[in-house]
Amino acid sequence: MPRSESLTGARPRPARTAHGRSRRPVAAGAAGLIVATAPAADGGAAAALPLEGTTVLGQLLDQLHTLGLRTAWVLTRPQWREAIDAVVHTSGIDVRVLASEDLVEDLRVAADVAGEAPGTLLVARGDVVTHREALAGLLADPRVVSGVLVGPSSAGAGWCFRARGARRRVVSAGSPFHRVRNSNFSFLGFLKVDRRDREALIAAARRLAELAADRPETWEDELERKSAEWRLERWRAAQGDDRPEPPEPAEWPRLPLDAEAEAYVALRRRVAAEDAVSLLLVGLVRSDVDLAMSRLREFYYARPSSEADVRRSLDEMSAIDEDKVALDSAVKAVDGFFTTYFVSPYSRYIARFCARHGWTPNQMTTVSMAIGAVAALAFAWGTRAGMVAGAVLLQAAFTIDCVDGQLARYTRTFSKLGAWLDSVFDRGKEYLVFAGLAIGATRGFGQDVWVLAAAALALQTARHTLDFTFALGQRGMVDATTHMPLEHAADAPVRAGVPADPEDAEAGEEAPLPPAPARIARPTLKQRIVRMARVVLRLLGRLDRSRSGRWAKRIIVLPIGERFALISITAALFSPRVTFIALLAWGGFAAFYSLTARLVRTAAR
Amino acid sequence: MTAMQVYRDDGPLGALIGRASRGVGMGETTLALVGALVLGIAAALALDPLPLGALTALVAVAVLIVAAGSQRPHTGRVAWLVPPLLRGLEYGFLIRLTVLADRDAMPLCFALLCVLAFHHYDTVYRLRHQRVPPPAWLRAAGGGWEGRMLAACVLALAGVLGPGLLVAALALGALFVTETVVSWVRFARAERPAALGDDEDDEVQDA
Repeated sequence: MPRSESLTGARPRPARTAHGRSRRPVAAGAAGLIVATAPAADGGAAAALPLEGTTVLGQLLDQLHTLGLRTAWVLTRPQWREAIDAVVHTSGIDVRVLASEDLVEDLRVAADVAGEAPGTLLVARGDVVTHREALAGLLADPRVVSGVLVGPSSAGAGWCFRARGARRRVVSAGSPFHRVRNSNFSFLGFLKVDRRDREALIAAARRLAELAADRPETWEDELERKSAEWRLERWRAAQGDDRPEPPEPAEWPRLPLDAEAEAYVALRRRVAAEDAVSLLLVGLVRSDVDLAMSRLREFYYARPSSEADVRRSLDEMSAIDEDKVALDSAVKAVDGFFTTYFVSPYSRYIARFCARHGWTPNQMTTVSMAIGAVAALAFAWGTRAGMVAGAVLLQAAFTIDCVDGQLARYTRTFSKLGAWLDSVFDRGKEYLVFAGLAIGATRGFGQDVWVLAAAALALQTARHTLDFTFALGQRGMVDATTHMPLEHAADAPVRAGVPADPEDAEAGEEAPLPPAPARIARPTLKQRIVRMARVVLRLLGRLDRSRSGRWAKRIIVLPIGERFALISITAALFSPRVTFIALLAWGGFAAFYSLTARLVRTAAR
Repeated sequence: MTAMQVYRDDGPLGALIGRASRGVGMGETTLALVGALVLGIAAALALDPLPLGALTALVAVAVLIVAAGSQRPHTGRVAWLVPPLLRGLEYGFLIRLTVLADRDAMPLCFALLCVLAFHHYDTVYRLRHQRVPPPAWLRAAGGGWEGRMLAACVLALAGVLGPGLLVAALALGALFVTETVVSWVRFARAERPAALGDDEDDEVQDA
């Protein structure tokens, strides 16, 4: 079998692009179910809108082809079949066009396709304009087994339903008929389903088809509620700067709109009602399938509904430098202060340099470890020159260490062994440097600091262990989420009298109500602790409101960048004894702080 | 066995004590805290007048208390405290004991701590990346935190803590590193056929 035809998990040789980045389309052999059922403003298919010599769908298929998609089923309405047929055969993908009458049939077809497709299946909307790299983040990232492409809540300018994620996993998703509490993302209409989750997809699609054929009342209510919200949104926009008092929710469906806004609300409702992809996502989430979230990052995304929209999208998209965004997003979004401001600004260019020369992240990891070992030797020398050389080398090792992660994210070259090596070598470097410093202290400074060195090692290992085990406990909490059955619009039972947010107030009847909590006159000791913990937590949370507060919280815990900087500075300027005392003092305070914060967090639950 | 229990790194003795004391009503975190307190006070008091024999006895008591929780599932709200506490307990005690018994052996103590840290990080990272922890026999062969602490006491009593630390660091280091390398080779092999079928082609071409 030729390489390009192999099924799941194939590892084709990296192909070079104009930028010289090696691309690894690990989704090679994947199949797609492209849903092109959304109408455009002119009544045609939104996916068939013309775009620079091709169509929106045509460009999307070309992009997916370069990402390893080999077969696709394109689902559309009978009246658009010819228009779609005419545009899909330009790409290298083997396309079959299927016509379906309505949402119910869409879902049945989805179940059939899911049963037929080999390997990974991508369920996608056909009417999307976005960067190839955004899709690559979902399709070509081997860490995403099954997952979705998500964007900020504003992404898609409201044409996408919301989702809630925790720890990079989808915990709740919205659809025309399902709502999400406390949403923090938009689902952008790309859903990657691994072979292992195929049965769940088939079952969910069948169940959704049954429900869509005879829509539960809560579904109808939810769509009405959403339409009313869109109407309110347009009405408010039309009021301009007056900002009148918002009317009662009961008034929303009757708010007066001009013809254009009326057409907008009607189109949005029609598009929503065809959204099989969002429904399938809800189906998977509520059957407890583990779905990773791949972020849009700063790439472009739009669902144009007219030719003018398409032209605007192309203009806006061409203003974004795709490679720059890819490189910038290869830098960890949340990292330590020192790493963010003193290393990442230039290490990303080293990462790109490495990518262009075909160097792998594992090679960089090894180089970093080697430099770290040389730094330890320099420290062991014991002279001032040795200390300064060690300090500089340690910083060089740390920079290369940041490069390997950025290089891996930039080229999407992730391996489990690589991740293990990276972590173990990080620790190895640090403790080797401790040993080097202790030897150097004896040789050059006449200090016996082995006890301090051992104590610093013990403290750091215990602190890391605390991080690991606390995260383990948190993960357990996410896993314990129970999902509502699909016929419910709400994603969680609403507590009697205490809705999670005001919007949920009217959804109270549809969910089973747990018994009301018994009233207790005097707070017990436990309740007092919980209350106190919540107060402390709120105070700690206040720090997050300011930039400096957020950084302060991150610097306090002495992350790796700060640790290595502390070692370099104190060793170069003072002596190994000062280094270890500084590490123990700051590390000890960090341990106290994170332990207290975590105990408070636990108590507040 | 839960991940939290794997992180504890109990040896055969700890497991035995845990099984024998299933009926004890206290939770795993309380037991660990009480045990750590006992040993912490002992180590603090163990200025030169406290004989090593008495210290060893106190270590045994602490081990009995802490290990009693080893067979619990660690589902308590603050069970995440236990593994870091055990790390601090073991490493801190080894340092204290070396300072008391043979201060010159401190570099060797540091070497052993490096080996133990490798083992403990390896446990976490392998569980994360291979999705399986190191095998149970490895934890047994390592002696567990309680086994290593008691062994160190015995070595100190016999007056051979320095050589003992050296042998332990070399033997355990060789064991832990070799086992990891073997596991990664095996992991890479096991993953290959599932990921790709075209490696056989390469072999055919090579032949």
